[in-house]
Amino acid sequence: MDDLKEELKRQLIEQLNLEEITPADIDDDTLLFSDKGLGLDSIDALELIVLLEKYHGIQVTKPEEGKEVFRSVNSMAEYILKRKG
Amino acid sequence: MYYISAASTISHQPAFLNPGFSGMIEPLHAGSALINPDYKEYIEPGLLRRMSKILRMSVACSGACLKQGGIEHPDAIVVGTGLGCLLDTEKFLNHALTVKGLLPPTSFIQSTHNTMAGQISLSLGNHGYNMTHTQNSVSFENALLDAMLLIDEGEKHILAGAADEHIALLDEISKQLNVRSDSRFTSGASFFILSAEKSDQTLAGIKDAEAVGLVKNIPEQITAFLDRNNVSPEDLDLVLYAGSIVGTEDEEKGFQSFWKMENLHVINYLKYSGIYPTASAFALHFAVDKMQHTRSLKNILICNSLIQHNLGLILVQSVEA
Repeated sequence: MDDLKEELKRQLIEQLNLEEITPADIDDDTLLFSDKGLGLDSIDALELIVLLEKYHGIQVTKPEEGKEVFRSVNSMAEYILKRKG
Repeated sequence: MYYISAASTISHQPAFLNPGFSGMIEPLHAGSALINPDYKEYIEPGLLRRMSKILRMSVACSGACLKQGGIEHPDAIVVGTGLGCLLDTEKFLNHALTVKGLLPPTSFIQSTHNTMAGQISLSLGNHGYNMTHTQNSVSFENALLDAMLLIDEGEKHILAGAADEHIALLDEISKQLNVRSDSRFTSGASFFILSAEKSDQTLAGIKDAEAVGLVKNIPEQITAFLDRNNVSPEDLDLVLYAGSIVGTEDEEKGFQSFWKMENLHVINYLKYSGIYPTASAFALHFAVDKMQHTRSLKNILICNSLIQHNLGLILVQSVEA
């Protein structure tokens, strides 16, 4: 689980061009779409959907899940493990 | 006459925020790098991370130009680009070819040419006329003509400029095509405030500009352009050129013999800007800066024939009383 979270942090930085941010700057429970967290926006949400498919082979088929899935690195990791069963 | 109130350039030369740079420029060599400003000073971090090189250059260069001109909101934003956002285009196409499934949206959105004027507008919150012209090697001249027409229609201050970016694939393509060049392919951005009226800030004037496609006889076209503006070749203090204008091995001597003027000062500006489709925008800033610091220069002609069948002409005049 911890390896997956570290991997996700690196993928977030690469996919979203988060310059000057390192994996160490992102806590597992940092809010991705809050100004108190990473401050991502709607285009980033689309990039995260691409990220899940590109790196983990997972298609987000229910858009209503997105809000909870992309809440933090923790929630993304849990979703990936759940989908991979 | 159309008045240039501010000018800004990002290139291999120390032109950015540096009046007088025309006196310290050197021909490009293999190791010379593009001189980038600190983009964080001009672009919010949230926007910066998404921007490719051409967008960073355009937004920062235009921002510095507006600051210099003391203009918060221009009446219009007009940009020229020959090849547009190549990095994002390449990134998007590579994804499309190699990734199965969904494609990343950012590079797709930003691969379109109109992203350039659009991003400047978004960064300023400007709701005025917004246009990106793309006509290969005469894209800047067309943008300039658009800005001049807007001033003719009553606008006061127009942000007009151009940018192009280099990607490694261009070198590969030019190698495959055996393109002969006397400089290297690179990137650059230049922006200007074009104003309707002369002020204390006026740096120089643009008397006229022209963009000709499928040009048949370049020297005749230049002569007609000068005639139309009541300027004789003897009035020219400097000619900045790109490409083959007169069609001789030695273009400088070709110019001099064509107009029978042995002392005509002729400079190939591509040696200083490097090659990119809108390098004539660099030439305009070069001419304006040179005019500011060499008072004897009254008329400078920019002849752009980077691509043989296109011709761009800009007549720059000093505005001293």
